[in-house]
Amino acid sequence: MKKKVLAILLVVGFILSSLVLAETVNLKFLHRWTQEPDKSFFEEVVKEFEALHPNVKVDIQTVANDPFKEKIKVMLGTNDAPDVFFTWPGEFTNRFIRAGNVLDITSYMLEDGSMFDYVGAQLIPFIYDGGLYGLPYRLDAKVFVYNKEIFAKAGVDKAPETMDELMSALKKIAALGMKPIAFGNEQPWAVSHYIAAVNQKSVPEEVWAIDTDPEVGTWSHPGYVDALHLYADLVPYFNDFSNAIKHDQARVSFSQGLNAMMYLEIVELPELERTSPEGFMDKIGVFPFPVTDGPGNQSYLVGYPEGFVCSANTKHPEEAVAFLKFLTGRQMGRLELETLGWFNGIKNLASPDEVKPIIYETTQLILNTDKMVNWLDSSLHARIWNVYAVELQKLTDQVTTPEKAMEAVVKIAKEVREEY
Amino acid sequence: MRRKRVFNYFYVIPAILFVLIFVYFPIIMNFYNSLFRMTSYSDAKTFVGFKHYLKIFADPIFYTAIKNNFLYAGFSILFQVGFGLFLAILLEGRFVGKRTGTFFRNTLFIPSIISIPAVALLWYFVYNPQIGLLNGMLDLVGLDHLRTAWLANPKTAIYSVIMMSQWQYTGYIMVLLVVAIQKIPKELYESAVIDGANEFQKAIHITIPSVKSMLAVTTIITVIGAFKLFSEIYIMTGGGPYNTTEVLGTYMYRSAFLFDEMGYGSAVAVIIFLITFAISIMQLKSFKST
Repeated sequence: MKKKVLAILLVVGFILSSLVLAETVNLKFLHRWTQEPDKSFFEEVVKEFEALHPNVKVDIQTVANDPFKEKIKVMLGTNDAPDVFFTWPGEFTNRFIRAGNVLDITSYMLEDGSMFDYVGAQLIPFIYDGGLYGLPYRLDAKVFVYNKEIFAKAGVDKAPETMDELMSALKKIAALGMKPIAFGNEQPWAVSHYIAAVNQKSVPEEVWAIDTDPEVGTWSHPGYVDALHLYADLVPYFNDFSNAIKHDQARVSFSQGLNAMMYLEIVELPELERTSPEGFMDKIGVFPFPVTDGPGNQSYLVGYPEGFVCSANTKHPEEAVAFLKFLTGRQMGRLELETLGWFNGIKNLASPDEVKPIIYETTQLILNTDKMVNWLDSSLHARIWNVYAVELQKLTDQVTTPEKAMEAVVKIAKEVREEY
Repeated sequence: MRRKRVFNYFYVIPAILFVLIFVYFPIIMNFYNSLFRMTSYSDAKTFVGFKHYLKIFADPIFYTAIKNNFLYAGFSILFQVGFGLFLAILLEGRFVGKRTGTFFRNTLFIPSIISIPAVALLWYFVYNPQIGLLNGMLDLVGLDHLRTAWLANPKTAIYSVIMMSQWQYTGYIMVLLVVAIQKIPKELYESAVIDGANEFQKAIHITIPSVKSMLAVTTIITVIGAFKLFSEIYIMTGGGPYNTTEVLGTYMYRSAFLFDEMGYGSAVAVIIFLITFAISIMQLKSFKST
């Protein structure tokens, strides 16, 4: 008798557990932050989401920044693609959209009105061909962060607003016997941020907007050469061996007072605070890339939000989008601001007295700018960027000229165009 | 009897299937893929025939890669096999005591068991231009004019990576040669001593001829290893600066996974396969002749 009861209990238990397992939704979530405090932040996001959705289990996968760019391509070609994954908007994501890998979330965002919780300008980078494909995770822009003490010692009274003022400041700082600009370009995404700025200021907007499209882009406007001349003028003021130093190492040098300024993303400010000597953050100020005489719009700011998207092949689109909204929404945005110091794309996330002044000041730069300009490496076809990156490293080493560099870019752009 | 013979084949079928599925089928599929333009993240394919191969042979970076692979092979033969042989003879000779020999043998072998990423990262810091050991040592001995960005200077980058590999693997080749030397009958050396041979003559006339087959094996290992080179370059330079340290492995990888050209990468893989296949044929012939 006892054995019969036990057997029945086992069968019932098995059936019940199968039912529970059948209802559990498993989501794969991929991001690129392998280190603290970001890693713990995402774990907390998942924990809170699972608490609100007990039938959903989120499996976190992480890959570091550079290998992520390769691994995601392979994962998207398999049946094991993540349901929700990190991305950089622009051509980096657009090619995945064209290949049918990314879910159009327009209808999901409109049905409950959640689209209107986001700053409109921060959704634009995720719009492609009339559809919304992703949501912003953190706002970002590139600014010059400068050491006010060194500037004052060199006799530079205020942050430069024009290129002429910047060059004059650099000369004065160099006279102190230091290399004014900290720059680590071992991974050439660093130089791509400079070039995005100078390109946008030297070339009419309607031209570079077209050129980023690999099907039609020619990169033949003379403004691109002018842009590289602007960059080449800065090169002598970079620290030695720029191409051999990682960006992080250069940032450490800057925080140690070995350089007077550095072109940094505002999302790096919290990390700068964590790793710099005490009191360093009180010495710094920021200014956007100076205006030039070029025909481009001088008020635009280089920087694009980073965000997350859902896989078009996800078996659980409702849950995936729900997680995406939760990750980038107000509640997690507040947590993101408190723990990581970053603003996400939600409107009115915090008041000025709730954040450090420099974070608020730089975020306002983003929210008040006419337009954001995407990072160059994310906005180009991979092969065009590869050639551009090599030429930019040569320019940084002063072994080529702007004219020769752009010749190579024009040539590869033509080859890519012909393949479409 | 006949039934038994047929039954015996069943024992080898799993191995044959394994080799067919995991070796020959991927080789054929790789060649097939090389005839298409395709990416890793999309099912879409465009037939291009042998266009990728024509493009490869017209690409100067391909020749840079081949040159670097041959350069690596040449240095590896010189250092790993040549210097490894010298070290093996030295450690097995009468100038070095047994204990000392064992100590150095073990010490020199250790780098070869450290994983390549760990070694590459170690040497990355040695070569760092600002805080690295190498530039620091040059400053210390008054050779600061030789300071450079070892991995970012196109004149030094490939040699810096090559020397790192020689540091890692010379000990391994040395140990293989030590094993071969230890098998040489002692009577040969005793006879040579009676005939008045010195250490150098013993090495030339006895040791080296006796380890000829192991020399052949180690040479083939190092040459094939030179053409399979990937991790060291990927971690330390990524193929830069300006593609000057590109090798066939990284050229293939970057084409396939960075430039979204899986078909082109497959074509490079076919070429790598043909080169290493040719070397393997040489290996088989070399074994037969020794």
